[in-house]
Amino acid sequence: MGRLMNDHESDLIAQARDILKKKFGYDQFRSGQQQVIQEVLSGHDVFAMMPTGSGKSICYEVPGYLLEGIVLIISPLLSLMEDQVNQLREIGEKNVRALNGLMHPEERSRVLAHLRDIRFLFISPEMLRQHSVLTALSRVKLSLFVVDEAHCVSQWGHDFRPDYLYLAEIRSHLGNPACLAVTATADERVREDIVRSLDLRAVNYVLMSVDRRNIALAVHKVKSSEEKIEELCKLLSKVQLPGIVYCAGRDWTEKIADIIRQKLGLRTAFYHGGMEAVDRRKIQNQFLDGQLDLLCCTNAFGMGINKPDIRLVVHFHFPATMNAYLQEIGRASRDGKQGLAILYYAEQDEHYPLGFIDANFPDDTLLRQVLRELDQGLLKLEKKETFLTSLQDRGASETAARFIFENVRFVTRGMNYSSIFEECRKKITERRSVQLNELSMMKRYLNSTTCRRAFYLSVYNESQSEKLDLCCDQCGLSLEAFERACPQTSDVHPEQTLDWHQRLATIFRESERDI
Amino acid sequence: MEYRYAIILYLVNQFRGERTISGIYHLLKGKKSSQSIQDSFLFHVEPFFHSCEDLDRRDFKALIDECMSRRWISSPEQDSQRFVLSSEGERVFSRLDGHLLTPEGLNFTEQVNEESRFWLKLQLMVQTLSALLYHQRAFLPITRQPSVTESVRRCIMEASLGRSKLAAYFYRELVYFLQRCPASEAELLTAQLTGYKMSGLTVKQIAELTGKDEYECRILFKSALRRLMREIAEFPNYYPYTGRLLIVKKSALSLSAEETLKLIRSGLSLHEVAKKRRLSQSTVEDHLVEIALKDRTIDMSNYLSDRLEKQILEAASEAKTKQLKPIKKLLLDRASYFQIRLALAKEAVRRGEDPNGTTDE
Repeated sequence: MGRLMNDHESDLIAQARDILKKKFGYDQFRSGQQQVIQEVLSGHDVFAMMPTGSGKSICYEVPGYLLEGIVLIISPLLSLMEDQVNQLREIGEKNVRALNGLMHPEERSRVLAHLRDIRFLFISPEMLRQHSVLTALSRVKLSLFVVDEAHCVSQWGHDFRPDYLYLAEIRSHLGNPACLAVTATADERVREDIVRSLDLRAVNYVLMSVDRRNIALAVHKVKSSEEKIEELCKLLSKVQLPGIVYCAGRDWTEKIADIIRQKLGLRTAFYHGGMEAVDRRKIQNQFLDGQLDLLCCTNAFGMGINKPDIRLVVHFHFPATMNAYLQEIGRASRDGKQGLAILYYAEQDEHYPLGFIDANFPDDTLLRQVLRELDQGLLKLEKKETFLTSLQDRGASETAARFIFENVRFVTRGMNYSSIFEECRKKITERRSVQLNELSMMKRYLNSTTCRRAFYLSVYNESQSEKLDLCCDQCGLSLEAFERACPQTSDVHPEQTLDWHQRLATIFRESERDI
Repeated sequence: MEYRYAIILYLVNQFRGERTISGIYHLLKGKKSSQSIQDSFLFHVEPFFHSCEDLDRRDFKALIDECMSRRWISSPEQDSQRFVLSSEGERVFSRLDGHLLTPEGLNFTEQVNEESRFWLKLQLMVQTLSALLYHQRAFLPITRQPSVTESVRRCIMEASLGRSKLAAYFYRELVYFLQRCPASEAELLTAQLTGYKMSGLTVKQIAELTGKDEYECRILFKSALRRLMREIAEFPNYYPYTGRLLIVKKSALSLSAEETLKLIRSGLSLHEVAKKRRLSQSTVEDHLVEIALKDRTIDMSNYLSDRLEKQILEAASEAKTKQLKPIKKLLLDRASYFQIRLALAKEAVRRGEDPNGTTDE
């Protein structure tokens, strides 16, 4: 923190602590939170890097009760937004709304018509560019302009969102409210990019360690998938749950869930992007409600999932970047208790992340074909969604389709689409090499012979402050500390009752009524 | 025999190798193309249209492969995607009880276009009421489809009752219905419902828990859902609240076909309708075929003379096929594809109503 607080500031912090206790039920700020809140309350622009699970939403939620006006939170993902809205509703906050592309137009107009009553407004960057939305927002007072997942603004970030590039302009249009940019992980280059792109001035940096000290780490080298499954079953029969098993593909999630259910009798389900939306939501709710011990999933699961008592995160296949890995294991033990992250690694697994990287971009043939069809008028750039779908029909992955869209949208009238071919290729080579670098970093982590924690901290230019008891396999880690008291058995769990009358009565709270 | 094999053998037998395996897949998924709708009538398998809407293409393909490796179905031509029953398949199939394949409710297809939306609304309504009853401040809704959310919202706002009263009425109506539904169907419908701290199960999960076949679970559930929709349509007084979630339509026509029918009734020609609605002529033709299938009272003589109709049907029976191309060829191009489809559609309706009747009326 460095400097001393003046009276005014310590007064503000006292009020903030009061809100923290009254609204959220916590006695103390967690590390980093107080500093961010103090800067925000003083009206400064703040850049905060806070690891997943460190309670970054508190940093704008508490000020929301002390500042006058609306806290506007720009959030890139619908699921994330939904979860944040729900968390506020759960503490009894009624004046929280979201604006995104998935809403019924009537609902949208209702929100815009009652802006003045709103304390927290979550919004997608696309929505913020709509004229009607911007006009309505410019008529009310904004207390804080929060950019969540701020790394999306950077081309060097892993999740670049072109719509984020307009945020600086929009903020100035809305009278330059103080800005809080938050992200879980960003290296120095990305940080600079964010501050510049968002036009943050006299910015205060609050950089927290990416270290999740309560999550122990292990990498387990194996020869084959069979060996992996064997090891996984051994692990799951002993350690504390609930847990998540991340897999590289849909088939794997189904296969592993099947094996574990049959072998161990654990309440296990799978989750991946190929499922119907309703089924995905059911599984998600089952997991959150404690109806499942284990979830086997692809990386489609996780964003916006807030379950504090996940004890175990297993990687059956390793992700493409260190950043994704930290993001995924960061879902464990948000309640501060001890958690465990285990990664199973076989040499041949590398083709999965390599495949993902390739699928991120169109290949030359596809790119050339699309540009030609645009020139010939066979493909038209009208509605974004229709355009993306027609690209996917031609064999592009979703990310590759997005890449093409972002590049052709700036081609002006009279210009030849095919003329940007070389430029696109150059971009692809550049971005691809960034991703390959990240992958090789990930592999270095897997093969490292020194402390895992020290390694990942060094990726973010950090060093370890003190040695932990439960650190990582390289420092010596016994799984005894993670064993569950009594192994779950496969008895029928009461919530799985199939008797329709009983089930319906419980849903409608009728059984209680009769008593 | 497991249900999943039975349903495939049954459908392969009905389709008689006149459609590829995708035709069966689209039928089960309920693809809203005129081809699929028409096929369901042509081959007399309307109950199965849209009966397995959550079917995964890869799962379906695996099932077909399995039937092939068991030598129950085979392809008459090499490398073709058209299948017929093998003699072994026919033997196995002949021992099946057809009634077990089609639970009664599956036949109630008159609201088939509404069933997905109705089911989503019902699930969201139940989840919302449960949350209200348990004073749950926030929950992750089972669906975010804007139109579904909006109509459930409206339904709750418009009911001028306290929320616990509204919930009690919903509960009573559902119990009233489920009591009169076969127990296995009632179980399948209810197990999918989500409430407070009791998230609904997926069909796959129910199949695992009960040891039932996944396809059978889908069909039993669909039967239950269609029973409920028919009950609501026939006895609205018994379902004053659940009924608000269902817009009971008088005809089973898709919205777009209905619009076309309205214009045709006002005297517009096929061409004029296409122009006015900015649709292609073939889309409007699709609508007319759908209309012919679903409402036999509409006069089609403007598009198809009795004489030509008769010739088409003769050609079809001569060629022993329902495929358009050979029929057209046999008629030396005297009839358009549209006219052939229309004739076959009218014929399918006649035969559907009187399965023992002959081709001629």
